[in-house]
Amino acid sequence: MSKIILPKRLEKYRYIGKNTIRHDGIAKVTGKLKYAYDIYLPGMLYGRILKSPYPHARVKKIDTSEAEKMGAVVVTFKDVPRKKFNIRLVSVDEVNYKDWEVLTDHPKFVGEYIAAVAAETEELAQKALEAIKIEWEVYEPLLDPLESMTPGKPKIHDKILFGQREVEVKNNIACTKEYVEGDPDRAFKEADIVIERVFKTNRRYHMQLEPKVAVVRPEPDGGVTIWTTTQTIHNTKILVSQVFDIPMSKVNVIKLPIGGSFGSSIQTNLVVLVAVALALKARRPVRIALTREEDILDHHSYQMIFKVRVAAKKDGTIIAGELENIMDIGAHQIQAYPLLGTALGWFVSLYKWKNIRYKGIAVYTNKTPSCAFRGYGNPQVTWAVETVIDELAEKLGIDPLELRLKNYVGRGDIFWGQGPTVKSVIRSDGVPELIRKGAELIGWDKRPKPGSQKGRYRRGIGVARGFHTSGAGGPLSGEVIDYTGAIIKVNEDGTIDYITALQDHGGGTLDAHAKIIAEELGVPLKSINIVWADTRTTLYDVCTHASRGVYVGGEAARRAARIVKQKLLEYAARILGDIATPEGLRIEPDEELGQGVIYVEGSPEKRITVGEVARIAWQRNWGSIAAAVSYRSYAAPPAFTVYFVEVEVDTETGIVRPVRVVAGADIGTVVNPDLAAGQIHGGFAQGWGMATLEDLPYDPETGELMNRGFITDYKVVTAPDMPKLDDFIVIFADTEEPTGPLGAKGIGEAAKNPVAAAVANAIYNAIGVRFYELPITPEKILKALKEKGEIKE
Amino acid sequence: MERRIRFRLNGEWVEVTVKPNELLLNVLREKFGLTGPKYACGIGECGACTVLVDGEPVLACLTLAVDVDGRDVVTIEGLARDGELHPLQKAFLEHGAIQCGYCIPGFIMVAKRLLEENPYPSEEEIREYIRGNICRCTGYVNIVKAIKAAAESLRAGSSSHT
Repeated sequence: MSKIILPKRLEKYRYIGKNTIRHDGIAKVTGKLKYAYDIYLPGMLYGRILKSPYPHARVKKIDTSEAEKMGAVVVTFKDVPRKKFNIRLVSVDEVNYKDWEVLTDHPKFVGEYIAAVAAETEELAQKALEAIKIEWEVYEPLLDPLESMTPGKPKIHDKILFGQREVEVKNNIACTKEYVEGDPDRAFKEADIVIERVFKTNRRYHMQLEPKVAVVRPEPDGGVTIWTTTQTIHNTKILVSQVFDIPMSKVNVIKLPIGGSFGSSIQTNLVVLVAVALALKARRPVRIALTREEDILDHHSYQMIFKVRVAAKKDGTIIAGELENIMDIGAHQIQAYPLLGTALGWFVSLYKWKNIRYKGIAVYTNKTPSCAFRGYGNPQVTWAVETVIDELAEKLGIDPLELRLKNYVGRGDIFWGQGPTVKSVIRSDGVPELIRKGAELIGWDKRPKPGSQKGRYRRGIGVARGFHTSGAGGPLSGEVIDYTGAIIKVNEDGTIDYITALQDHGGGTLDAHAKIIAEELGVPLKSINIVWADTRTTLYDVCTHASRGVYVGGEAARRAARIVKQKLLEYAARILGDIATPEGLRIEPDEELGQGVIYVEGSPEKRITVGEVARIAWQRNWGSIAAAVSYRSYAAPPAFTVYFVEVEVDTETGIVRPVRVVAGADIGTVVNPDLAAGQIHGGFAQGWGMATLEDLPYDPETGELMNRGFITDYKVVTAPDMPKLDDFIVIFADTEEPTGPLGAKGIGEAAKNPVAAAVANAIYNAIGVRFYELPITPEKILKALKEKGEIKE
Repeated sequence: MERRIRFRLNGEWVEVTVKPNELLLNVLREKFGLTGPKYACGIGECGACTVLVDGEPVLACLTLAVDVDGRDVVTIEGLARDGELHPLQKAFLEHGAIQCGYCIPGFIMVAKRLLEENPYPSEEEIREYIRGNICRCTGYVNIVKAIKAAAESLRAGSSSHT
């Protein structure tokens, strides 16, 4: 069975570090859990969206009369507020670029929304949609960012908003960022060795299992109730309010479980706004459920072209690093500007470059808008840097592990959690432990010499390390909004309701919160009820993204639990009588009673259950035992990961398979061991897909996706592609993060970030070829082997 | 053109009027409120809509409702009996095999048939059998583990009965 190595330190906890049945587990295995895609309301209409078939065009004329004759409710760009907005509200307004509208007469990618209809059945809606007549003016698409940014090319956008200010887009450059530290020119002159490489990453699709969906019910007070796939109910509420001028108190967004997301709903998916427009016009509830083919036109990852330049001394001391980052962001800005800064942050937080130069350019193309995809640019940057570091080690004749340990950014250093405005000091660091243990388990010393093997099947071992932030907090306010809220109340029988807007994507984030609460309060885990909530009944939470769910949300929950505990102890002291100070009281969980029991330290016969305290407080009119906490962290600590991967390359077919994986993760205190390991397993699978399988090429003639939206031609990892259970080892480092809830940090994205780099380094170790373009497909491998003269035509 | 069909759904005979082009998945979800079978691709590529028809795994997104006339259909909702979870459901819970959970009904239905056909599946046989089901969260590790564990517990259960 696949192994999980856990630190002994966890044994001191009751619930933390133990595998438990997740709170939503039974509903999930019985098919009873309702996701947004499962919401059907009485009297609702089905909506369908008319999308542009052209990558760049203008609607000269639109005729919806036939559709209306069929009884459909129709909205076009003429019926919606003509305002520009950004569908993501995580950045502060002054640095938010806004270039998108609900519906448009000027589509800039295949799939952009022009109009929408709602009808009694989905079939009728589709027929009505097909009855809309449009006269188009069609333009040549720009699909290559390097071409798009060349002066003189057609404009994709003209004027857009930056905060509240109008700015003109020049040469299709959406935004830029530059940074210099120290004297890189001098350092490159003084270097003993300089390596410069160009990398091109792939355009990927999240392929979250649940396609985006919105169900909107108009309310009699002029407001709306919204059920949708989202990572942030509060930002969804705010955006809908801003676009449609509905007071926020009249927009209620219901929190529902989400069928995967991986960053694709940090922004409010545009389908929500379209459904609101239809529902307001129809005065009936409207459901718009995207098909898979529509969903794949809604969101992709950022494709990046890097130039990396690294300077070092003979002894392996790195003295300078340069990164040029050209990002293809597609047709609209979601988080291009913050990502330019964040990509720089990932770069500077990987190694101590000492002298740094960075130039980031985000370029519009006539393609699906790009958004965060598990790692937010970090898997891309880490792939490039960890490839160069591997090359540097080889050229210097230094063990790649030693070179990394000598230069990495670790304890005591500054970490850029989310770009230049989110910095904090690293307080916990398990990197040396993970490198040492991982090397031992994979058999690092026995790995072959690169390119030394003959024969059809060649094996190689590669390593890469990386990290991801835990949230986007920090001592300074910065450009990123990052705080959350937690409400805890003790019911009159002693059971506990935990209410948060924070979304659990399935990683077990809320189970982790429940464990933290149970541990802090001293009550049984099963006495805590996680409430599915809405925007009306919760405090603001920015979003579940940036691997912040456990680290930020868990600490908010812990702080609320602490307040509740104090109140419980005060009330218990009153009831028990003769208590000098509530500080001498303790709470212990009693699993049989399903309650916490409060007792006097040293006099355990003086005791009372939490339920009895709550009942008496109710009966005697003392008021509720509850707490509400709004919390921002003053740090964003890195969760470190180190991947050792062994691959086997079939030199006849070019197919690579993962043979063994040893994945090390420093996530501080491990709250849910099986689910934390699950993050690693899933992170590896997505990283493997990035390294070897996934890409979204466009047809240069039509500007359409080559797969035309069908996942038949977008391969993701399936069960036989993964290593055997016994060959996948997960190690958790023995660390504790002082700023985290009971020592915990994040994991979701760190689990994926170094994977593609480790795989690429392993392929190099097996066949002696480096690849600078992802994915590393069998075709590319065969071509490279032919060029090396190792195989014949 | 509408047609009245009658079939056994999770153990009970039901009747419904459907159009000849209506898909089983939509009928289950919208007419019977059984949203356990999921829409995720609509073209038979991901397995999230899998149900059992006469005991065989079938992709409900590619099956016409009229085709199940007179037949036996079991969805994920019909797997637990009298509140008692199926060993596969228990194993998925106990082995951390669920993350977002959207794909899980499909995996469990496919795995049920696998374990009926082959009570002693090797790890490789499990992986091959579930290769038509996509999960984007788990990397399949804990899913494979859960199916192995369920096979063991089913074997232990049946030997104790005989």
